[in-house]
Amino acid sequence: MKRKNLTRLILLYLASALFLIVFIGPFVWLVSSSFQLERQLVKVPPVWLPDPFSIESYKEIFMGAFFDEAYASAYGVSSSYQSRIYLGSFLNSLIIALSVSFFSVLFGAYAAYPIARLDFRGKYALLFSILVVRLVPALALAIPIVLFAKQMGMHDRLITLIFINMSFVLPYTIWLLQAYFKTIPSELEDAGRIDGCSRLQVVNRIIIPLSIPGLATTGILAFLLSWGEFLFALLITETEKSYTSTVVAAMFATSLDVNYVTIIAAGVLAVIPPVVFALFFQKYIISGLLSGAVKN
Amino acid sequence: MAKNQSTEIHSGKLALLFSAPALLILIVTVVVPIFYAIYLSFHRYKLKRAKRPFIGLQNYEKILTDSGFWESLATSLVFAVSVVGVIVAVSFFLALLLDQDFPGRGLLRALLLIPWAIPDVVNALLWKWLLHPAFGIMNALFQMGGLIDEYVAWLSSMPSALIWVIIAYSWKNIPLATLLILAGLQTISKSLHEAAMVEGATAWQRTLNITLPLLRPTLTVVLIFETIFALKVFDLIYVLTSGGPGKSTTVLGWSIYINTFKKLDFGTGSALAMILGLLTLFIAIVFYAFLDRGERQ
Repeated sequence: MKRKNLTRLILLYLASALFLIVFIGPFVWLVSSSFQLERQLVKVPPVWLPDPFSIESYKEIFMGAFFDEAYASAYGVSSSYQSRIYLGSFLNSLIIALSVSFFSVLFGAYAAYPIARLDFRGKYALLFSILVVRLVPALALAIPIVLFAKQMGMHDRLITLIFINMSFVLPYTIWLLQAYFKTIPSELEDAGRIDGCSRLQVVNRIIIPLSIPGLATTGILAFLLSWGEFLFALLITETEKSYTSTVVAAMFATSLDVNYVTIIAAGVLAVIPPVVFALFFQKYIISGLLSGAVKN
Repeated sequence: MAKNQSTEIHSGKLALLFSAPALLILIVTVVVPIFYAIYLSFHRYKLKRAKRPFIGLQNYEKILTDSGFWESLATSLVFAVSVVGVIVAVSFFLALLLDQDFPGRGLLRALLLIPWAIPDVVNALLWKWLLHPAFGIMNALFQMGGLIDEYVAWLSSMPSALIWVIIAYSWKNIPLATLLILAGLQTISKSLHEAAMVEGATAWQRTLNITLPLLRPTLTVVLIFETIFALKVFDLIYVLTSGGPGKSTTVLGWSIYINTFKKLDFGTGSALAMILGLLTLFIAIVFYAFLDRGERQ
């Protein structure tokens, strides 16, 4: 029996190792590549580990953003346009993702409460249409939205992107929060009602304080969804005033005149916020993802 | 009775009041644009021309008689069916593995979140680097393994570009599907497996006769959602292949983008987007019918 257990464990670890290589390997290779020098990066066969360990690629991006002239005089070449605007685009992405996350959780919570707790006509129609909204292809919405934005002079602005990103984040937060609210015992609410609280007070004083973990999970998922958004950002932004990190990352990826190392470093930088978030809050995220998926 | 009715009306008003901000945003960002897109699809609307007459179904007629459309539809379907097949198959085995009890599985599950958290655009950048025609690690590995003699330009050769786009897409989307299937697995009672084990059923027989049938609802949900999302693929194509080489990776999403924002033909672009939307809606309805039937049984 013991022997059988040992073979079982060995097989499980072999399978785990295989999956780890397939699913984490590419990412590790990207990070490792970003610490190489350009001349090592273009060697055939590849140099497997960075030697020497170099941060030149990150230097171009950081110095390009803050001390472009110093960079140009030190290296004899100016940093690329993408490098110079990349950190600024990060700030834009951050502003957008944080605002979208905050407002979708706020508005989502009030919209989710009646779905979770009240009986009213059209409740299931509302729930189903929220699900359908999440399935509408962004490309179908993008055409009219771009036209509207141009006509109203709202293109190339962060606020427009914040607003538009809610179109796909809000249905998601409503869905997650109504599932979460259902897990709160209604006795607590009844006690509040007997003490003379109005529905609004019940939500503000009982439901919301008790849902902090659920609200936080939802906020994190909303942040991640918004951080990775590309299509609307591509179509709405026109200058570095509003470029997001995904738009500039795509510029890096499709450009021919930038060092490979810099392109790779740009990729690594763009995944730092979401990956750190994901690993740091993994328990919440997994529970959030699952509760959102449970049908009913 | 009368009192019930009045509380229901009261609840309805309250619901409307509470969800007003959210509904308002969704009306402006989703409902109005959809109707405007339908309107556009019935008009000849080219950005360069001032006249934008109503032309009925002509945009649709033009699309449906264009072989380019049928090719991109076929590419989209091939893409969707392939990624869904790969995602569901790999996720199923990965979920079976994570359902086992062994030290370190929590770590494996946490690390799996990495591909999921990577934005699509960066996922594309990552695969572009792995597949680089001159310096890509895939070329090096395949050559070491003796699978290829010389380095291959994977993303600019004909069947390989689509195959690698399928792989890159699946790589990012397998983790979430795995977590969903894992959650489904964990609702299956262990006692069923134990009983079957007493009867002498092998692990394979148990998977086939207990796990798979009980997992069917979860698998259906994953299958349909993955299909719908795969049909919308755009970001990956934009960075990896731009629809090429030739038109071999021109999926519907890319075709909509090119027609609308490169050819500046908003009428045709909207009509194409409507067709994609209807396709999605059709799948959603089939999905709804499936779940409904499943629940009644």
